[in-house]
Amino acid sequence: MSVSLLADLAGGSLQLTIDGVSKRYGRNTLALQDFSLELGSGVLGLLGPNGAGKTTLMSILATITKPTSGTIRWNGTDLAADPNAIRSVLGYLPQDFGVYPNLNAVEFLEYLAAVKGLDGTTARRRIDELLNLVNLTDVRKRPLGGYSGGMRQRIGIAQALLNDPRLLIVDEPTAGLDPEERVRFRNLLSDLSGDRIVILSTHIVSDVEATATDIALISQGTLVAHSAPEDLLHAVEGRVWEWVVSSADLHAVRQQYLISHTTRRGDGVHVRLLASQPPAGAGPVAPTLEDAYLFCLSQHRATVAA
Amino acid sequence: MVKADFLERVRRYSFLITLAATLYLAYGVIAEKIVIVVGDGYRGVYNSAWIGALMALSCSTFLSLCGFYVVKNSVERDSTTRVGRILAATPMSKVLYTVAKSLSNLAVLGSMVLVLMAAAVAMQWLRPESRPISLGELWSPSLLISLPAMFVAGSLALLFETLPVLRGGVGNVIYFFVWAFGIAGGAETGWDPTGISILTLSMRRALERMNLGDGKSTNFSFEVGGMRASKTFVWHGIDWTPHMLAVQFIWVAIGLGIAVLASVFFHRFDPARERIPENKAKEKGNAAVEDPAVAVELGLPKPTYTKLTPLSGGGHSRLPRLVAGEFTLMTKGLRWWWYAVAAGLLVMEFVSPKTEVWQGALLAAWIWPVLVWSQMGCRESRHATESLIFSGERVVYRQLAALWTAGVMVALATGAGAGIRLLLSSNWQMLASWLAGALFIPGLALALGVWSGSSKLFEAIYTVWWYVGPLHHIPGLDFVGGTRASSSPALYLSLAAGLLFAACLGRRRQVAYA
Repeated sequence: MSVSLLADLAGGSLQLTIDGVSKRYGRNTLALQDFSLELGSGVLGLLGPNGAGKTTLMSILATITKPTSGTIRWNGTDLAADPNAIRSVLGYLPQDFGVYPNLNAVEFLEYLAAVKGLDGTTARRRIDELLNLVNLTDVRKRPLGGYSGGMRQRIGIAQALLNDPRLLIVDEPTAGLDPEERVRFRNLLSDLSGDRIVILSTHIVSDVEATATDIALISQGTLVAHSAPEDLLHAVEGRVWEWVVSSADLHAVRQQYLISHTTRRGDGVHVRLLASQPPAGAGPVAPTLEDAYLFCLSQHRATVAA
Repeated sequence: MVKADFLERVRRYSFLITLAATLYLAYGVIAEKIVIVVGDGYRGVYNSAWIGALMALSCSTFLSLCGFYVVKNSVERDSTTRVGRILAATPMSKVLYTVAKSLSNLAVLGSMVLVLMAAAVAMQWLRPESRPISLGELWSPSLLISLPAMFVAGSLALLFETLPVLRGGVGNVIYFFVWAFGIAGGAETGWDPTGISILTLSMRRALERMNLGDGKSTNFSFEVGGMRASKTFVWHGIDWTPHMLAVQFIWVAIGLGIAVLASVFFHRFDPARERIPENKAKEKGNAAVEDPAVAVELGLPKPTYTKLTPLSGGGHSRLPRLVAGEFTLMTKGLRWWWYAVAAGLLVMEFVSPKTEVWQGALLAAWIWPVLVWSQMGCRESRHATESLIFSGERVVYRQLAALWTAGVMVALATGAGAGIRLLLSSNWQMLASWLAGALFIPGLALALGVWSGSSKLFEAIYTVWWYVGPLHHIPGLDFVGGTRASSSPALYLSLAAGLLFAACLGRRRQVAYA
């Protein structure tokens, strides 16, 4: 089964097709199950709870691991037949990666530029620009072993952009970044998205909210939904309510409704809940992507349980 | 803690490999490749006592060497898995931690002793020389000699891990010499944890009692179809005295003492004391202030975005740049004194008039970079950069070739004095050996690094090989080719090619799409 929800493959030149991909670890763990998706230029926000299969999908797309079944095509070329077709245009920021502690930022990026086959002059210019972009110019000569977690993450972002990738895969890219760097990165992703496919995997809904032109929800290895953010929001419109309850009632309310947020104020606990019919005294509020995300996941779980 | 640590280890792939090696050791005993020859060509009749002694000696000598390398990663594993930081935040004392780790090391090595004890029963059953099986005689040497030896080796592994200088490859190399001299010296003085002296003394006395000689030239050796004892005698095992038991108990106490001593040096996963060299730790301490993101908050100018330079077309044949990158990676972080020693050896290779001296300098020059070579093939897994590197285009074999070339460059550079000397003297055979050695060493490092995912296997095997082969000019094992008799360039050229092929196969196994 192939799900194609992008109305227009912008520019028509880039196309990533994931068709019926499954991945099994050992005998009992099915990380991905008949997963299909078709992508064109833009930022795809891949959202899902921990253990949903996001990282497995990223690793498969980045040619790090093979799918157990199914095919992946980059502009029509099967990844299994020619993995270099995708590697030549790939920028990949894994969720967990290491650095060589004795090298400084420039040396590390120069090494990876050589691995990626970039010529020396271009690589050096690009490294300077990337270090400026990720705000590491001042510490470019410091050994990476002395970098903080956030600085290391920014080196990861820089290396992913070294070869001007047409396909940029970033797995939990904002983990460890401070709020200011997170905003910088989000802006960067938006700037980059014009003529390339960016796949942003995260469980931080606000990152997706700020950058994604398209959203795929994944849970238990299957695709739950794939649509534009507006469509997801539209699906949950008229189902989000705010209700002020006393602290004593909060536990009972939690048992009865799907709650996306609570805030304690002077007049009681302001509960943001999702329901087809509002409880007495609750008022409608505009849905957020987080509401839509929770709603879709709960619907999916209910369907699976049934 | 001991149980969790033990289970974590035995569920690893590397444990199965070690177990397989132990089974091979048991096979070596059963197939008479490991023999004890007492006095003038005597061996014991294969009764329970003799087989038990063989198994115990195999354990306490070979396993005390190999086992050390197998278990010398218990603290490191807690560090890399970050579990250590969780443990450090608990009320657990340092002594409790190191003693528990030491016991866990014993549990791992002890499980191998158990394998050999089971093999001992099988051996006596397979050999019809003396049927009645006495479990006491069969197993008492393993229990009373091998287990204390394993405890000492496991505790030493722990101590080495906690001492900053011995934590890495330097410790791996040094332990081999500690082990070699310990066995040699212990057999002379009677104070050795391996128990060789207890067993050989008992065998010699038995021989003397039977008036079959003085048994002074007792040998325990690992033979590949070589020495065979021509005569047999009956040995009924060690007559354990309270004094002998007390000595074995002292070794257990020494093992425990080493574990407690390790707690003094144990860093308790303090990031400031873990592996990071002093100058870098200092920089790390300043990281928060120097972080530009923080600098922005402090009112310092914020960098502006720049447009990225477009690429000038792909280039996939830039092997020289990759070789340069790998060479930088290998040599980056080496201190000035490393280069000073290498340069000193290089000069000695070239200028020394005495053959023994310049050849000795070459040998030293080719053990000196052992820790540089040992990173080959396993650096990616050690630093978790596989996903960054192996997702590159046509990179798998290119990077491997670049890595090997960089390793060969290190060998050629450190041995250049000898190479030029041989060239100038037109000593073509030894020059060929020298070149074969320079190609072989990085090949061995690469293959072992790729297949084991660790630097330790190469460090251990290469050090032993270097000690046995080139240092003693043993034909077939001398990859440096110090003498005409021991030189075999064709063999080592073939081995270099074979090892490169093995490394390619190993890498192919590691990546999804080669």
